[in-house]
Amino acid sequence: MSGKTVLYVEDNEFNLKMVRQLLARTAYRLIEATDGELGVATALREIPDLILMDIQLPKLSGLDATRRLRADPKTAAIPIIVITSFALSGDDQKAKDAGATAYMAKPYSPRELLQMIRKLLPEQ
Amino acid sequence: MRWVAGIKVSVHGKLLAGYLLVTLLVIGMGAMSLQTISKMSTQSQLLDEAHERVHWSQDIQHALAMQMNFTAMALLLRSETTVENILRENNRFNNTLARLEKAAQPEEVELIQRIRAAQGDAITTVADIANLIRDGKIADAMRLQQEKQYPLYRRIEEFVTQLVLRESNKMDQLRASVAAANRSTLILMAISAVALMLVALLLGFVISWSFILPVQKAHGFVSEVAKGNFTATINVPNRDEFGALAAHMNHMSQELQRLYEVQHRASQELQRLNERLQQASKAKSNFLANMSHELRTPMNAILGFVEMMLDEIYGEVPPQLREPLTDVQTNGKHLLRLINDVLDLSKIEAGRMELVLAEYSVQDVVEIIRTSLQSLALEKGLEFVAAVDDDIPLAFGDGKRITQCLMNLVGNALKFSKHGRVALAVEQQGKTLLYRVSDTGIGIPKDELENIFGEFQQVDTAITREFSGTGLGLNITKKFVEMHGGRIWVESELGVGSTFFFTVPLRVETSEVT
Repeated sequence: MSGKTVLYVEDNEFNLKMVRQLLARTAYRLIEATDGELGVATALREIPDLILMDIQLPKLSGLDATRRLRADPKTAAIPIIVITSFALSGDDQKAKDAGATAYMAKPYSPRELLQMIRKLLPEQ
Repeated sequence: MRWVAGIKVSVHGKLLAGYLLVTLLVIGMGAMSLQTISKMSTQSQLLDEAHERVHWSQDIQHALAMQMNFTAMALLLRSETTVENILRENNRFNNTLARLEKAAQPEEVELIQRIRAAQGDAITTVADIANLIRDGKIADAMRLQQEKQYPLYRRIEEFVTQLVLRESNKMDQLRASVAAANRSTLILMAISAVALMLVALLLGFVISWSFILPVQKAHGFVSEVAKGNFTATINVPNRDEFGALAAHMNHMSQELQRLYEVQHRASQELQRLNERLQQASKAKSNFLANMSHELRTPMNAILGFVEMMLDEIYGEVPPQLREPLTDVQTNGKHLLRLINDVLDLSKIEAGRMELVLAEYSVQDVVEIIRTSLQSLALEKGLEFVAAVDDDIPLAFGDGKRITQCLMNLVGNALKFSKHGRVALAVEQQGKTLLYRVSDTGIGIPKDELENIFGEFQQVDTAITREFSGTGLGLNITKKFVEMHGGRIWVESELGVGSTFFFTVPLRVETSEVT
């Protein structure tokens, strides 16, 4: 199990479960965090290869968490996909401004999310 | 000045009183000079009279001298007839003396009577001398003449001289008095003229300043009021028209102050309400933002799990389950569209919807529509044509909202057409972009054309069921077009088809966006 590590920061257990099941049949290893502060702490501790960051999180918003990770040299280079509320409402621009590598509007298609992860972080 | 201002008389009255006072003073001065003139004329008449009396006295002296002369001649010529000449001169003497007596001053009367008495004696003596001459007693006559008549004449002469002297003295006095009166009148007139001038000046000064001061104060007051200081008051001592005007002005500023306070309270109330409204609006906006995400999170799981099932991530899907799973997916997507539309509309209504302005390519927008909806057109067996000029330059606006508008219009056109074609075309007309979406669908009845852009305005509910629209798409499209400063309209014929048009500026001015 030397697969690449993906951190998913999300407070909804069903979405976590969905991504867990989505990545179960791939070579990616998934680690999880359920709020913004935990997400930052986990990222700094584990140094994952890619981060999926929900925009709306308890304790620390996804945008603030992204800014903190970008400000820390240990995590500054990790690709971050920010999951925004609605692609048309200007959140995508806010995500880019916060330092997101890419963004995905919620509700997202699991198929498209997996395509995006594979594009940013090749499985092998 | 304050005192004059405070007199309770109208401006008109004060001016009249001032002029009247000056006029009265002039009349007084005139009366004084008239009086002086009449006094002087009296004195000069007295002088004339005295002069006349002196003249008469000289006449008397002359007559006396003639009498002496004729007496001497009678003695020398021993002629009685010469005596008649003496009598004639005597008559002249008496007549003149009578006139003199009549005009004489009381103190002279005694002297005149003594002259008359002496003359009476002298005439008696002349009569005696005449008798002696007739009798040839020349020596006696000469003696009588020498001893009696001559001294008598000398006495008369002396009396007349005294009379003349008195008159002369009187005349001197009169002359001196006239001269003195002249001098004093001149001085008096000069003093009066100067005093009159001073009074006139003083009155003019005082009255005019009693008008100028309130006008100056009114000027200051009005400037203060014009600057917005409604608490300013004007205080003038005048109790005339200016005083009344000042009272009105004070009343006006009080009224302005009262109105200002009323208005100020109203505007404060309004501001407080506005703040509360803003707070409420902010709360609503936060609620919408939260709801937006809260609604999408479970939708994400529902649609995600269904998609993963259909993608057979959990293993092979039995054929009899594939259709119900697809139905769940279709309805889930419809619910998501509804949620998106309701949230968009709520944001627009709350005034929290803002366009994200940037440069966008019209060609790219059309391409997104074409690729997104091509499959739907193919499924329904419809021809779908999207045409756009290559030379339309980069546009400025909210490209994603324009895309959303076209997605709504083209989506509707595809939904409501069972056969035929749907066409999307974009033209540049000067500084405006004209979008046109035409279909060969069921068309819209004329009486519905106006309402078509309202909320939940699909033509009938059966159609809604059949075509599964949200009923919000056109309303949202209209609002986005108008936020860009554009216009939307539709032309339609029942059973033939509809064409939707909308315009937006090629480059949206930031200030035009509402």
